[in-house]
Amino acid sequence: MKCTVCREPALIDLRRHNSNFCAEHLLRFCRDQVRRAIEEFDMLRPADRVLVAVSGGKDSLAVWDILVGLGYDATGLYVGLGIGDYSDTSADHARRFATERGLELITVDVPETYGYDIPEGSRAARRAPCSACGLTKRHLFDQAAVDGGFDALVTGHNLDDEAAVLLGNVLHWQTEYLGRQHPVLEARDGFPRKVKPLVRLGEREVAAYCITAGIDYIVDECPMAVGNKHLGYKEVLNALEAGSPGAKADFYLGFLRKAAAAFGAEAEAGRAALGTCNRCGAPSSSDTCAFCRLVERATDPERSRR
Amino acid sequence: MSVAKLLNRLELNREAVLLVRNGTLVPGDAQLEDDDVVEIRPVVSGGAT
Repeated sequence: MKCTVCREPALIDLRRHNSNFCAEHLLRFCRDQVRRAIEEFDMLRPADRVLVAVSGGKDSLAVWDILVGLGYDATGLYVGLGIGDYSDTSADHARRFATERGLELITVDVPETYGYDIPEGSRAARRAPCSACGLTKRHLFDQAAVDGGFDALVTGHNLDDEAAVLLGNVLHWQTEYLGRQHPVLEARDGFPRKVKPLVRLGEREVAAYCITAGIDYIVDECPMAVGNKHLGYKEVLNALEAGSPGAKADFYLGFLRKAAAAFGAEAEAGRAALGTCNRCGAPSSSDTCAFCRLVERATDPERSRR
Repeated sequence: MSVAKLLNRLELNREAVLLVRNGTLVPGDAQLEDDDVVEIRPVVSGGAT
C-alpha cells in the first residue's frame, strides 16, 4: 500500500477518505483537518490565548500538540479526579507531555481541593460516575477559563464523540440538546467560549496521529466508563462505518450543515434564566449550583456514615 | 497473514483498533510474519462529555 500523496509506503489506510498516508502525510492530514475545522466553524483567531482541557488521553494531547504546532498560545489544564491508579497514570502522561515540550500545565486536584473523588461523589449524589465526573470537569474547566481570562476553552472531542452524542440525542429526540450541539459555543452568562477543533477527525485518526507524532498517551480506558451508553453508541456507529465508510462524518457533519439550525429556537427557549451561585459565584439556574451541591453531598460527614 | 485478515479472524472492527509493530503503524494489507510481535491498540474512548 502506497501513500496517496507521495507514493512512499503507507502506514495507514483511511477508507472514508479513500486515502493511504505515510507518516509525514498522515501528520499533515490531521493538522489540515484541524485547521479546516477552525476556519469552517470560525473557532479561533490567531492571537487567541486558549486553555486546553487535558486528560492525558490521545484526544486532548493531540489537540494541544496540533494547536501549538499551528502557533496558538495554548495552556493545558489537568483536573485530577481521584479515580485510583487511572488518575495517577493519566496525570503522569499530561505532566510529561507538558514538561517535554516546555508548555504550561495548570493542575487542579479534586480530592485535595474539594475533599471528594469521583467514586465518592457519584455514590453521594446518586449520579452515574460519568455524570458526576462530567459535572465536576465542566465546572472546573469553565471556572479556570474565566478566571484565567482565556479567549476560549478547547476540548478534545473528536468526530466519533460528537457522532455518538448526536445518535443519543436523536434516539431520544432531545431537541434542546440538538440545538446546542455545535463545535463552537459562544461565551454567555459567565460561561467561557468553548471550541472542539477535532470534530473533523475520527478517533482512529487521532490515535494514529499520536502514535506517529511520538505522543505517549494513556491507552487504558477509564475504569468507570466501561459499559456506558456513549461507548455503546460508538460501537453501533463503528459497525455502520465498517460497511459504509464515511457514515459517521456524513451523519455528524451533515447534521451541522443541514439540520442543526432547525433546533436553534428550541435550544434558546429552553435556556433557563441564569443567576449566580450563592457559594462559588458561578452562573447557575438555582441558588446553589449543581457542582456546589455535589461537593456538599459528597463531603457531608453525616451522609458518609449512613 | 495480512493485518486485515488477522483482525477479521479476531472479529475486531478495523474502525476500533490500530495495529502497531515495533512502534510503527501497520496498514491493513501489510503481511505479518510468524515471529512478528504486534500490538492491537484500541482507539475507542469515552466517558463524560
